[in-house]
Amino acid sequence: MVNWINLLIPFAYLGILLGSLATFSHLYRARKAARAASLAPWFGPHLQRNIYLSLLHLEPETGPKVPDSVLKAALLRRATEDIHRIIAIRNAKQALNTLLQRGSVGDDLWQRFLRAEKETEEELRDVVQEANAFQPNWGNTIFQTASEMANNALIRRRMEEIQSQTEAEKEWWEKKRAQTSSDFMKELDEGSSTSGLMSPKSVGTAASTTSKASDDDAVLVEGGGPAAQSQGGGGKKKKKNKH
Amino acid sequence: MESPDTFTLLPIEMDPQTKAITPTHPSNPKNLTLELTTLNALHRALQSPDCTTNVPPPPIPVNPKRSANIGKLRETGNTHHKKGAYADAIKMYSLGIDMALGRPAWEPANLVREELAGLYANRAQSRMALQQWPEGSADAQCSVELKRVGNAKAWWRRGRCLVEMGRVEEAREWVKQAMEFESGEKDLVDLAREIEGRKGGK
Repeated sequence: MVNWINLLIPFAYLGILLGSLATFSHLYRARKAARAASLAPWFGPHLQRNIYLSLLHLEPETGPKVPDSVLKAALLRRATEDIHRIIAIRNAKQALNTLLQRGSVGDDLWQRFLRAEKETEEELRDVVQEANAFQPNWGNTIFQTASEMANNALIRRRMEEIQSQTEAEKEWWEKKRAQTSSDFMKELDEGSSTSGLMSPKSVGTAASTTSKASDDDAVLVEGGGPAAQSQGGGGKKKKKNKH
Repeated sequence: MESPDTFTLLPIEMDPQTKAITPTHPSNPKNLTLELTTLNALHRALQSPDCTTNVPPPPIPVNPKRSANIGKLRETGNTHHKKGAYADAIKMYSLGIDMALGRPAWEPANLVREELAGLYANRAQSRMALQQWPEGSADAQCSVELKRVGNAKAWWRRGRCLVEMGRVEEAREWVKQAMEFESGEKDLVDLAREIEGRKGGK
């Protein structure tokens, strides 16, 4: 009977030990999780996802239910944004890994990255589920479609960028050509030893492509016509091979 | 990003007639308005007959009708160009470019790239024949941007345009870049030599 009290001491010892260990572990993990959560997110807010979910939760009293076609379009926009994020993550992973091993970046950054990666994975799974809910098997192709859409948007943006610069370049070129041709005319006037044949040719070449040629030039165009044509023809011969 | 279980409710509403989504308050962050415009455009595009039940079909196979039309426009343009009707050729190529750019956004981007690269390169050629150097230069640049390898002609054309405009330094840089992709091309080598000659002459 005495043994009970004697036995209680080691048990109490064990209990206190394990209890304190458990408490410490719990606190430590909670703090770590809180710290990870408080880190700045890798990506900004997911606008497309918010729009999609907002549409899903649109209050019925403010209007009729949002039709499926709009929701499908919104889901597609969401998938396209996910493609951008996936690409960003893939590009960053290798570089970040190297930097981390060298110790160039802190552990915080890596934690943020891992969290973003996990979130994006979950986001992809969610989109696939939603797509399949709209139409069976759409989940298999939605990201293919989204990736083509992302690429197509990129192409169109780039083309527009280049083509939009043309106007300014054209203006610059008109100015420069007017400058050179007037310089040339001046030279001709000063040293009139050159034969008169040169001047219609050069001005004609310039004027034949200028829409806003003055009246004086218009007369000369006819004289320079053949010369300009032959020049154009010469250029054509060189690059006849076509696709 | 928000955690997987939550989201930010955005102040948006739908027009019951047009089904267009608009921000509730006009004074909204710009990116929301922009994104909603894109969304509405996509929604309209999804109404096309290609999309059964408003879901875009998988990227492959492609609807052959548009490809055939684009091919035809290019052929017509080539014929015009050979006959010397450069303005008509440019018109045909421009129509083809518009049609290729107007492909539904979910069709394969590589196909668009391929078609546009050819069309832009050809239009650059016609523009050069008309001595429209700035436009020709832009078109050739577009073509190169879309297809860097195996596009020596477009590389050469922009180089030529730059030389014609007297931008020798730019042309030299451009041709140097071109050589990294197409070092064996004779035209490019000749052009590079000409540029060096011009620089030496100045």
